[in-house]
This record gives sequence, C-alpha cells and structure tokens, in this order.
Amino acid sequence: MHELKRRDFIRGAALGALAFTVGGAQVLLTAREARAQGVPFRLLKANEAETLEALGETLLPGARAAGISHFIDQQLSVPPEEALLEARILNVKPPYANFYRAAIGAMDRASQARGGVRFAQLNTIEQREFVDLMRQNKLDGWQGPPGPFIYLVTRSDAVDVVYGTMEGYESLGIPYMAHIAPEKRW
Amino acid sequence: MAKLEKAAVVIVGAGASGAVYAAVLAKTGKKVVVLEQGPDWKLSDLISSDFWGRRIKTAGAPFILEGKNPMGYAYQSGWGVGGAALHYFANFPRLLQNDFKVKSEHNRGLDWPIDYKDVAPYYDKVARDVGVSGDAKAEEIWRPAGAAYPMPPMKTFRNGEIWLKGFEAVGIRMVPAAVGMNSTEYKGRPACIYDGWCHVGCPTGALSNPLVTYLGDARKAGVEVRAWSTVTRVLTNGNGTRVTGVEYYDQKKEKQFQPARVVVLAAWSAQNPRILLNSANGAHPKGLANRNGLVGKYMMTHFASGTWAIFDENVENHMGTTGAQYMSYDRYGKTSHKGAFGSSFIVAGSALKTSDLGGFANARLDLFGADLHAFMKRAARGLTRINAFGEEMPNIENRVELATDKDEFGMPLGRIVHSYDQDVSAVWNANFEEGLKIAKAAGAKEAWSGRGNIPTIHLMGGTIMGTGAANSVVNSYGQTHEIPNLFVAGPGIFPTSGASNPTYTIFALSLRGAERLAGKWKTIVA
Repeated sequence: MHELKRRDFIRGAALGALAFTVGGAQVLLTAREARAQGVPFRLLKANEAETLEALGETLLPGARAAGISHFIDQQLSVPPEEALLEARILNVKPPYANFYRAAIGAMDRASQARGGVRFAQLNTIEQREFVDLMRQNKLDGWQGPPGPFIYLVTRSDAVDVVYGTMEGYESLGIPYMAHIAPEKRW
Repeated sequence: MAKLEKAAVVIVGAGASGAVYAAVLAKTGKKVVVLEQGPDWKLSDLISSDFWGRRIKTAGAPFILEGKNPMGYAYQSGWGVGGAALHYFANFPRLLQNDFKVKSEHNRGLDWPIDYKDVAPYYDKVARDVGVSGDAKAEEIWRPAGAAYPMPPMKTFRNGEIWLKGFEAVGIRMVPAAVGMNSTEYKGRPACIYDGWCHVGCPTGALSNPLVTYLGDARKAGVEVRAWSTVTRVLTNGNGTRVTGVEYYDQKKEKQFQPARVVVLAAWSAQNPRILLNSANGAHPKGLANRNGLVGKYMMTHFASGTWAIFDENVENHMGTTGAQYMSYDRYGKTSHKGAFGSSFIVAGSALKTSDLGGFANARLDLFGADLHAFMKRAARGLTRINAFGEEMPNIENRVELATDKDEFGMPLGRIVHSYDQDVSAVWNANFEEGLKIAKAAGAKEAWSGRGNIPTIHLMGGTIMGTGAANSVVNSYGQTHEIPNLFVAGPGIFPTSGASNPTYTIFALSLRGAERLAGKWKTIVA
C-alpha cells in the first residue's frame, strides 16, 4: 500500500480496481486481469489457491477465469476493515485468512480421506458430488468450519467475481445503473 | 495523553441516534464532540457495487456469537461516520399503539413507560426534518391520524405491483411504503432515480442518511466529528455520581481523555453495553448504570420470512429501491397468527442485485454449478420477493456480556448470547405459509420460501427503558437511572421490538431525548 500513492489508491478504489503487486510495484488490476497476468499470490500457497479455484469453478463455472483466488488472496492481504469479502458481512471473525485456510484444510482432508487425493485433484463429477455433500453437512469425519458455511461463503465469492461485476450484469442483460461506477467495469 | 478541551457533550457514535443528539444540542450553542471509531465517509465514497459497499459495514473488534440462534449482526451494523444508517434501506414504518403495552395487554414481554401518543409528534417532526415519502392518510387504517408526509409516495414498479392481486386475495391491505427517501426534490436534495443501490449507500443525497440530514446539520452548527476514535470507557467522579467524560484511543492508537459535562452513548445496541460494562469502577463495580444487573440484557432482533417467486414476465427487478414499495400492518396484531405470539410487518417490492446477501444468487442457496447459471438467467427477468418481518419478545437470557479475550486496546470483547423461542418459529412458519398463498394468488410461475436458519435482523435492547431502576437501565428519554448526566441512545433502549424497521423510531426517540436534554440542561448538569 505504501508504494501506491494514497491518492491513486483512493481514485482506483472509487472506480473499482484492486491493488496487486507486480514486479515489486503495486498496480491496480481487476482479479481477472491479475490471474491472466499470473500475478503472484500474497498470502495463499499454490495448493491453497488451487483448491479455491477448483471449488470456485465447481460452485460457478467461470469463477476460475474471473480470478476468484486472486480476489480472495488480495482481500486477505489488506486490513480487515478494508476487506470487500462477503465473509465480512457473514460474521466471520477476522483475520479472514484463518477461516479460508481452515476451510481449505478441511476440504482437502475430507477429500483425501474419501479418495486419497486433494479436492483439486478430483474430476469435475467427483468435485460436484463432494460439494453437494459438503453443503448438506453429509461428509463423514468432517473437521473444520461447518461445510454448509464454507459453501455459503465461497459460493458468494464465486458469485461476486462472476456476476457482481459490470460484465456479470451485462451477461444477464441487467442495466448496472451506477451512481459512482467501479473502474474497469468491476 | 494530550489535555483536551472540555466539551458540553461528548457523543459516542456518529450513526442515526448520535447524529440527532449532535444536531439538536449544537443548535443550542453547546460544544459537541462526536467520537466515531471508523472512518469519516463522504458521499463520494459510496460506490455503486456490492463489493465496495461492504467497506461501510462492520469492522473493529468482533463480537463473539453464542446461543441457539447466534445474532448475526455484521450485515446490519455500520462502520464509520453515518453508522448503519449510511447503508440502511430507509424503510420508515413506525411502531403502533399495540407495541407499547404488551405486558399489560397480553401478560407477555414488557411495557414501555410511554405510549404511541408520546412518540407520534416526533415521528412527524423527523418526517419534516429528513424528508419522508408516503401516504400518511392511507396508514390511518392502522394508526391515529398525524401530519401528512412532506412528499408523495415513491414510484412503484412491476416487481412490487405484481404482488397486489395476491395480497388482496388473502385479505391483506397494502399501502404505499413510508420511506426516508425523496420522491421529489426536498430541502435541496434531489429526487430518487430508483437504481436500487440504497443498500451500499446513496451518494446522491436522495436517501436520508445522516450525512445529508442530522449530521450535516450538526456540522454546520459547529459539531466536531473525530473519526478513528474508539471509546473504551466512560469515567466518573470519585463517588460515581456523575460521569466526567470518556477514555478513547485515537487514530494513532494513543489513549486520550475527552472531558464532558454530559456523555451520550450512541454506539449501537451491542457496543453500548460493552462500554458500560467495561467502565466498572469502585463506585460501580458491575459497570455503569448496572446496579440492577440489566445492562446488556433483553437483546432482541427481528426475523424475516421471505417468499420468492418467478413470474412469467419481465418484472424489472433491478428498478426501484432496496427497501419497499408497499407495506402492511394487517398482521401486526400480537395474535394475528393462530398459535403464535408476536406482530408481523409485511413489505413488497424491492430492487434486487445479483450478489450479496439479498441478491439473486441467494434466492436459491441449494443451486450451484451450471444450475446456478441457469437460475441467474431466469431470475434476471422474473424474480421478485415479499417479506414478512416478525417480532421477538424480550428475554432476559438474550444478552451482551464481556468475554475474557481482549481487543487491540485491551478492552474485553463482547459476547452476544441469543436464542429464539417457540413463538418466533411459529410466527416465522405462519408467515411463510401465507407468503406462498399470496404468491400463488398473484399468479407466480414458481414460488418458494427462503428458509434456512432463522435470520437475525436489526439489533435492539441491551439498555432498555422503563419506569425505574428496578426494571430498566434508562428512562424514556434515554437518561440512565443511576447517573443523571449519562444518556444512552438508539435501538438499545427499546423494551420491545415491534416488527417494523426500527430506524424511524430511533430518530424519533433520539429527537425526543435530545430535546429533553437541551430543555432540562441546567438541571441535568447541575
């Protein structure tokens, strides 16, 4: 944040982009652009981001390309009072990284217990079946945040990045009608 | 710690109630300081986006949530100047006569120490102050006559109108919703343009958030608003008979003491008890205003039975306001539903967005993957919703208390313990059943109940008003029974919750309390 002048950040925030670190400098990008450019994650480990992307894609196809892991990662790296995650309004106790790490761990443990592989390594049919059981709290031996709550929070993240954007509204044929428009139609 | 100039009044919290107190007292020439723990938002910060709208919702030290029905408070609470009223829906229904004497009339809950007629003049005053649109005459089928609203009702849209046939079929009368929004230009603020972004903050000034109403007036009258100021304790004199000011941490996280002749706690239903309990001292070992042990008790909330429907036409659900186009008190009697106790308040017609808690996607939480995509496409054209809000009776076991964990300032976290009783389940279910009948009669192609966990909406209680120290924390003006120059403002002073949205009543009670404080100033500070 210090490298990005506050004035530029406020302007970007007012218009909608997020601050990502690229080549040591902070730039304003959408999460989709950050993923497309391969921006390194700030907090998430590669396997954690992989699980989140696989979960997001299962919950709402298109969430992977829309940058769900980059969105969450960037949001986990800012102070909780600046976070834009739905977790914030779902009473998740900050720091939010604790919840996401616990959720990812619970999913991967349950997946390995069932089939010997992490969630991201399941095929798409298996991933769908796993998520369907998780949302109904029907996975045996589950350890971690309640499965239905993980489903709610991460499904919201997926909806955010796919349908919460101006492009998302456009894809549904809904006029966005902003008073103050987010930057880059985010 | 710098020595700060003594204020006549220090107000803790820059939301709906704090803004009213600030405006009223500053206009009498008093030096007023408002301390707000979050940022100093401007209208230009209110970006039209569900993502960015979350910045103005809860932050700071979290509350620990326990009980059978944990009080999910985050969506309802505010963060920064304007408080929750910066993102409220501005539905302006009032409490009715039957809300004020529930104990006397039904041997349930509690009585208020005042009646509807004591609050009614303040509803009318607030309507003139902030601008309310609606049809007061139409509301007289449920309440005594009062002043007309200063603006005619808001425009209606198909997503609301389409329900009317269904309501009529089950015998529920709907009238234009009273809202704190401009249907026409009012006091230099523009008319609403019906874009449905109310819930993330209205930057045009058409919606009566504190920045463009009472807090704006307060600032013009010289009130100093100090953002990023987290109050941890109210201090008293040695024998505990008077408060002397508040201890807070500033933006640099340095401890300060703001001396004042009067302290008004307007920091929200859960935070006010937390501060009072943390202010325990030798004269008040259980916390300030808490000799009877009632600080933090009787926390209440509303719940909603949302009925979703898809119609076979384009209902333009992106149009309108987040609040309501129509409202009804026809199920507001405490025994309206057989075998259940508590009022219900019904609304129809709200603009919908794609994401966030109230968005399309959450209308069918069971769907994901390709099914969710397909639903979103259908919902975009024909989805709409009605809601019936229910009343929870006060229960002393529902409470705020201090936990052992502490925040960054060393202040114990608050713990909210909350469970619903059987009446809540019964009212919730009855409203769902009726909602489906309404949807069917309205001609919905598909209709379903928005079930899940019983939601918790609008936090009230915790510092309730009553006739004396034996049964309450404050009197009907918000003045604590134990310490005459310590006031509490906001929904925390409600002894029962009613079923209607609370902010209009918050404004009205705050105006009543602030005018009393100004009028009795010499007595109170003597």
